[in-house]
Amino acid sequence: MKRDFWIGLVTLGFATLYWFEAAKIRISPLDGPVGASGLPKVLAMTLGVLSILLIIRTLLARLNTKPPTENAEAAAPLAEKLRPHLRAIGMLALGLAYLLLIPTFGYALSIMSLLVAVSLYIGADLNRRTVAVAVVGAIFFHLLFVEFLDIPLPKGRLVDTLLVFNN
Amino acid sequence: MEGIGYAWTALTTTPAAFAAMAGVVWGILGGALPGISPSIAMALLLPFTYTMEPVTAIVLLAAVYVGAEYGGSIPAILIRTPGTNAAAATAIDGYEMKKQGLAGEALGISLVSGVIGGLIGWFFLVVLTKPLASVALLFTPPAYFALGVLGLSVIASLSSGSLIKGLMAGTFGLMIATVGTDPLSGVNRFTYGSSDLLAGIPFILVMVGVFAVSELLEQASKRDWARATAEEAQTRIKLPNWAMMKRLRKPQAIGSAIGLFEGCMPGAGGSIAAFMSYNEARRWSKNPEEFGKGSPEAVAAPESANNTVAGTALVPMLSFGIPGSNSTAILLGGLLIHGLRPGPLLFEQNPDFVYGLFGGLLVANLSLFFIGMLILSPAIWLVNRPKPYLMAVIYALIFSGIYSIHHSLFDLYIVLLAGGVGYMMRLLGFPFLPMVLGLVLGYLIESNYRRSLLLTNGDHSVFINDPVSLVLLIVAAIFVIGSAWRDYKTTRQQRMAGPKT
Repeated sequence: MKRDFWIGLVTLGFATLYWFEAAKIRISPLDGPVGASGLPKVLAMTLGVLSILLIIRTLLARLNTKPPTENAEAAAPLAEKLRPHLRAIGMLALGLAYLLLIPTFGYALSIMSLLVAVSLYIGADLNRRTVAVAVVGAIFFHLLFVEFLDIPLPKGRLVDTLLVFNN
Repeated sequence: MEGIGYAWTALTTTPAAFAAMAGVVWGILGGALPGISPSIAMALLLPFTYTMEPVTAIVLLAAVYVGAEYGGSIPAILIRTPGTNAAAATAIDGYEMKKQGLAGEALGISLVSGVIGGLIGWFFLVVLTKPLASVALLFTPPAYFALGVLGLSVIASLSSGSLIKGLMAGTFGLMIATVGTDPLSGVNRFTYGSSDLLAGIPFILVMVGVFAVSELLEQASKRDWARATAEEAQTRIKLPNWAMMKRLRKPQAIGSAIGLFEGCMPGAGGSIAAFMSYNEARRWSKNPEEFGKGSPEAVAAPESANNTVAGTALVPMLSFGIPGSNSTAILLGGLLIHGLRPGPLLFEQNPDFVYGLFGGLLVANLSLFFIGMLILSPAIWLVNRPKPYLMAVIYALIFSGIYSIHHSLFDLYIVLLAGGVGYMMRLLGFPFLPMVLGLVLGYLIESNYRRSLLLTNGDHSVFINDPVSLVLLIVAAIFVIGSAWRDYKTTRQQRMAGPKT
C-alpha cells in the first residue's frame, strides 16, 4: 500500500513534467483544431488524474485497514530484499557493457565476451565448456547474421586499426 | 474459391509453407523452455521478419504461436514445469500420467488434442474474420478513435493487477507513441535534438524489451534454478488408439468450445481457456474422480482449448486491429511493420495476404502433428541444457536480432531501457499489455482523434453524435466502471475478512 502511494506521487510528478514539456511543442501552421501538443496534454492530464486516484485509494485503504502484523518477508534485512534486484541490475549492466565494447572490439569479440560473462554471471563455472559455448556461439551468430543474413555487423575500431597496419 | 486460389498461390510461390513449418519448430522449442512464453518466442523472431514478404513473415509468427501452445506441454508433462502459462492445467494430470509410466501416452494425447483444437480454431478464424471485418466498414474516424479507446480500456480492465495501474500503463504506451515527428503537422515532439528519435520509438524495440529482456532480468534475479531432469532418449510419443480417441471426444469438444469463446475475447487467452476447460471437462466426465490422478481427459481438454485459442485469438486482431493478448499484439506489430492495417480494407486491398495467412496457418496446424512427433527428443535435450548458457544465447540473440533491423546501436540502448522498465513494471504490479497496446494503437488513436476534430472544426461532440463511436465509448466506460466496482468489492471483502493470521 505504501508503495502505491509513492508510485502515485512519482507518476504525478512525471505527469506534471510531461505537461510542461508538451506545452513547449511548437505550433505549426498545419495544425488543425488540435495541434501536435493536443494528445500529449490530454495524456498528461489523464496520468495526473490516475495518479491522484491511486494516491487517494492508497490513503483510504490505509485509513480503513489495521496495520499488518510484521511477517518474515517484511522483517528481512534490506540487503536481502535488494539482492534479487541487484542481480537483475547486474544483468542489465552486462548488456550495457556489451554495447560499450562493440564500437571498439567489434561484434564477434563482443558477443563472445557477452556469452562468457552472462554464463558466468548466471552460475556456470569458468571451464572449457563455458569457453566452448562462447566460441561456438560467436561463430554461429557471425555465420547467421553476417554470412547468411548479410547484416553488416560492426567490425570495431580495433579490427580496423589492425587492418590499416597490415596494409 | 478465389480465397483457395490465393492461398494456393501463396503456399506454392512464396516460402510461406516453409515458414509455417519453421515457425512450428521454433514455437515448440521455445514453448518447451520454461520462461519463454509464446509472445517472447515470437518477439525474438520479429526482427528477422523485417526483410521477409508480408505473408511469409506473419505466417512464421503465427506458426510460432501454434507451436508454442503445444511445446509448453512437454516440460509440463515430463517435469511438472509448464513451458507456457497455458500448459499449467496440462501439468496437473500430465505429470501424474508420467509418474505412472505413461509419459508417451500423455504427450501423444497432448499432441493430437492440440492439432484437433488448432484445426477447429483455424476453421472459425476463416469463417468469422471477414464478416466481422465487414462490420468495421461502418467505422468513421470517430468510431476508429473510440475503438482504440475501447481496446485499451478492455485490456486495462481485464489485465491482472489494479485497474488504475492498467490504465496508467496504457497511458504510458500512448506517451511513448507520441515521441518523434508528428505525422500530421511535421512538428518534432520529445526528440530533444536527437536524430535517432525523429522516427519515433519503434514498438518492436519496446515489445522485445518488455517481454524478452525483462524476462531475462527476472530470471537473473532468482537463484533457485532447478536443473531439468527429463529423460532423453527413452521418452517416445505414443498416439492414442481409436478407443481412447472416442473417450477424448467430449473433453476435446469442451476445450475447443471454450477456446473459441475465450480466444475471441480480448484479455482472455490460453491459460484461462485451459483451466476453464479442465474444470468443465471434469464436470461432464463419466470419471471425474480420475481428474488430478492422471486422467487422459484432463490432458486433452486444456490442450484442445489452448490450441483453439491460437487460431481464434486472431479474429479480433484481423477484424478490428485490436489484439487481445501479448501474442496477438506481436502479430499486429508484424502486420504494421509490413504496412498492413487490419480491418475490412485488408480483405479488399490485400486478399492474397489474408488467404495466404489462412493457408499458412492450415499448414502449421497440420504439420504440428508430424513435427511434434519428430521434435520431442531435441525439445527434451533443450529443456535439459544448463540455464546459464540458454540465457546467454537468448541475450545475444536479442541484441543481434534487434541490430539487424536498422543497424543502429541506439536501438539496442532502447531495448535495454525498455527491459529495465519492464522489470520495474513487474516489480510494481503494472501489467505490460496495456502499455504495449497503447504504443501499437497510438497512431490509430491520435490520427483518428485529430481527423475527427478537423472534420468538425474542433467540436468534440462528434464522438457522441456518431452512433458507432457512442456505443463503443459506452462499452469502454462499462468495462472500466465494472472493473472498478469489482476492485472495490474485492477490497471491501478483504477488509471485512480482516488481516490473515
